[in-house]
Amino acid sequence: MLRKIINIAGRECRQMYRNPIYLFCMLLLPVFVMVFFTTLMQEGQPQQLPIGIVDQDNTSTTRKLVKNLDAFQSTAIVGHYPSPNDARMAMQRGEIYAFLYIPKGTTAGMMTSTQPRVSFYYNAVVMVAGSTTMKDLKTICTLGSAGVGKTKLEMLGKTEDEIMTFLQPIKVDLHMLNNPWANYNVYLSASLVPGLLMLFIFLITPYSIGTELKFGHSKEWMEMAGNNPLIAIAGKMLPQTLVHMLVFYGFEFYIYHILQFPHPGGVIPILLLGWLAVLSAQAFGIFCFGLMPSLRMSMSVCSLWAMLSFSLAGATFPVSAMDPFIQGVAWLFPLRHYYQCYQVCIFNGFGLHYAWIHWVCLMCFLILPALVLRNIRRAMLEYEYIP
Amino acid sequence: MNMSKLWNRIKEAVHDLAYIWAEEMKMCIRDEGVLIFFIVVPLAYPLLYSWIYNNEVVRDVPVAVVDLSHSAESREFIRRVDASADTKVAFYCNNIAEAKDLMGRQKVNGVMFFPDDFGVRLNRGESSSVSVYCDMSLMLTYKAIYMTAMTVSSEMNSGIQIQGSSIMATTERDEQITTKPLDFEEVPMFNSTQGYGNSILPGVLVLIIQQTLLLGIGLSAGTSREENRFSKLSEMRTHQNGLFRIVGGKALCYFMIYSVMTSYLLLIVPRIFGFTTIATAADLIGLLLPFLLACIFFGMFLSCLIRYRENVMLIVVFTSLPFLFLSGISWPLSNIPPFWQGVSWLFPGTFGIRGFLTLSSMGGTLGDIEIPYIALWIQTGVYFLATCISYNIQIKASQEKV
Repeated sequence: MLRKIINIAGRECRQMYRNPIYLFCMLLLPVFVMVFFTTLMQEGQPQQLPIGIVDQDNTSTTRKLVKNLDAFQSTAIVGHYPSPNDARMAMQRGEIYAFLYIPKGTTAGMMTSTQPRVSFYYNAVVMVAGSTTMKDLKTICTLGSAGVGKTKLEMLGKTEDEIMTFLQPIKVDLHMLNNPWANYNVYLSASLVPGLLMLFIFLITPYSIGTELKFGHSKEWMEMAGNNPLIAIAGKMLPQTLVHMLVFYGFEFYIYHILQFPHPGGVIPILLLGWLAVLSAQAFGIFCFGLMPSLRMSMSVCSLWAMLSFSLAGATFPVSAMDPFIQGVAWLFPLRHYYQCYQVCIFNGFGLHYAWIHWVCLMCFLILPALVLRNIRRAMLEYEYIP
Repeated sequence: MNMSKLWNRIKEAVHDLAYIWAEEMKMCIRDEGVLIFFIVVPLAYPLLYSWIYNNEVVRDVPVAVVDLSHSAESREFIRRVDASADTKVAFYCNNIAEAKDLMGRQKVNGVMFFPDDFGVRLNRGESSSVSVYCDMSLMLTYKAIYMTAMTVSSEMNSGIQIQGSSIMATTERDEQITTKPLDFEEVPMFNSTQGYGNSILPGVLVLIIQQTLLLGIGLSAGTSREENRFSKLSEMRTHQNGLFRIVGGKALCYFMIYSVMTSYLLLIVPRIFGFTTIATAADLIGLLLPFLLACIFFGMFLSCLIRYRENVMLIVVFTSLPFLFLSGISWPLSNIPPFWQGVSWLFPGTFGIRGFLTLSSMGGTLGDIEIPYIALWIQTGVYFLATCISYNIQIKASQEKV
C-alpha cells in the first residue's frame, strides 16, 4: 500500500513539474500575495493623510491651531481653501480626506465668551482614512477648547495641577491589547493572506483531481492505486500537502519572525494552525470535487466559497453583527475557524482550550473527503470530461 | 463605381461582425461555465454581499466591567456605557482575571476597569482614571468601545466641571461656555451613518463586473482554444481588416451582455439596499462606457495567454482582493507605496472603482475624475491593440495547425 502511495506521489510530482500552472499557484503567486499585502501596508498606521483647512478667521490663534494640527503624525495639511464648498470639491476630487472649517469671528467669540463653533468634515466613504483624520481633528478641537479654558483658569491663579484636574477629571486610560500601534498590517495581513493561501489550495486541489479526467489519465491513476480511491487520493495529495505546508510555514515564519507580528500564543498554536489550515482547505477541495465530479463546477464552487470566506471570516466586519442566518452559515467556512483560532490562541495568547470548538471544527473538515470517496472512484472510472 | 465598392465593403463588414457576434452569443449561452460567470455570479453575489453587510454598523459590543470602586460615579459611568448605542455592559466581574477569561471565551470585546479610588479621588477634586482594555483583533469593536468611553468620560467631565465652576458661573449658559469655550461639530460626509457596507460595497460591485468579465471571457476563449476553433475564424481573416471584425464582433457580444448586468449591479442593487447613489445618468454613462470597454479588451487580451480553460480561474479569482486594495477603498490611496500605485494603473478596475465612488457615493462630476476617465480610454486603446496583435498571432498559429 505504501509502495502504491509513493508511486502515485512520484507520478504527481512529474505532473506538477510538467504543468507550469502548479508552480504559479502553489509557489509564485502565494509568495507574491504575501509580499503584496505586507509591503502595501508596511506603514502600519496610515501617516500624513492629506487634509485641508478653511480658515476664514485667519487670526494668530487659529493659525496656531492649524500649525498644531499640521504637527500631528497621521495628518498633513496640503491645502488652504477659501470656502467650505471649495474644500468639499477638493474632497470629491480625492485630494483631501477631511477639512477643518473655522468660520469668521471664531477668535473674537472665544475672547468674548460667546461659544463660537468650528466644524470638521471627513470623508466617511474611505473608512480608514476617514476615521484616522477624524480622530486628529477631534483632538485638535478638544485641545483648542481646553486651551481657552486653561488661559481663563491661569488668569484666576490656579496651579497647573488644578487646571489639568479641572479640564479632565476622568481620564480614559486606553490599552490596545497586543497591537498597541493599531497596526493595519498586523490586523489585515494576518487574516487576509492566509485566506488567499487557502484559496489557492481550494482551487488547485479540485483542479489536480479534475484534470485527471480532462486529460484522460483517470483510469491509469486509479489502476495505480488498485482502484482504491483512498490510496489514490492520499498519493496524489501527499506532494501537494508538503508544498502547501512549506509555503504556509514560510508565511508564518515571515510574519512572526521577520516582521515580528505579535504572537504571544507561541509556536505550538502557530504550527498546529498552519497544518490544520492546509489540510482543511485540501479536504474541502476534495469534498467539493467528490460532490460535483466536474472540474468546472467544483472549481467554481470552491472559488465562490473562498471569496465569501473573506467576508464571513469576520476579520473586518464582525460576524456577531451580521444577520443570524449568516452567522450560522459562517461555521461552514474553514477560514472563519482559522481566524477564530488565530485571534484567540495566537494573537491574544489564550490557551488552546479557549477556542476548542473552532479547532474541532477545523478537524471536522478533514473528515469530509471520506464521505465522497466512492463518488470520486465512480467518477474516475466511469465519467467523461464535459467542458 | 467607387461608391458601390465601398457600400459592398461596409455591407460585408457588418455581416461579418454580426456573424461573429451571433456565434459568440450562442457560445456564451451554451457554455455553462461562461453562463455562471456572466449571469449567475453578477446576479447573486451582490445580493449575498449586501445581505452579509446589511446591518452596516456594529451595535451593542459586549463589554465586561470590573468595578472595584463601587461608587456612585463609577456606576454612572457604567450606566452611560450600557445606554450608549455602540456598547453594552454584558458582565460584571470581580477582578481583571475573570474579565480576561471572558475575553478569551469571546464573550466580550473589551474590559473597563475602575480602580478602588475612582470615586474617592473625584470627590476629593483630584483626577482619576478608568482603564479600557480593547481586543485589537477587530477594529470596528475597538473603535466602538474606545469612542464610547471617550464620549462618556467627556460628558461626565462637563458635569463635574459645572459643579466645580458654579462659583464662577452665574447662569446656565455661562456654565456651558465654561466647560466648552470652543464648540465643535463633527460631520461625516457622503456616508453619514458611517456604514461599513455603504463604504465597501460600491467598490465591490464595480470589481465584480471586471472579475466576472475576465473569468467569462477567459473560459470561453479557453474552450475555443482547446477545440482549436480559431481555424474557423481563419476564413474570415482572408477578408481585409477581418481581424477587427473578429475582435469587434466578440467585444460587441460581451458589451451587450454587460450593459444589462452593469445596469443591474450599479443601478438596481444599490437602490435595493439603500447605498448612497447620487450620480447623474450622463456622468455614469461617461465613466462606465470606457470602463466596460477597457475591461472587455483587457479580458480578451488576458484570455490569449491562457492555455486551458480552467487555468483562468486559478489566475483570476485570487486577484480580486489585491485589486480591491489597489483601488484605495480600504487602505488609503495616498499611502499606497509608489510601486504598487504604478502597478494599479495597469488595471481598469482601479480607475473604475475610484471613478464610481466619486460619482455615485460622493456626488462628484465627470470633471472630478478626469484622471481615471482619461486613463480608462487609454487602457481601452492599448488593450484593444494588444488584443488585435495577440489574436493575429493565435489565428496564424491555428492556420498552421490546420
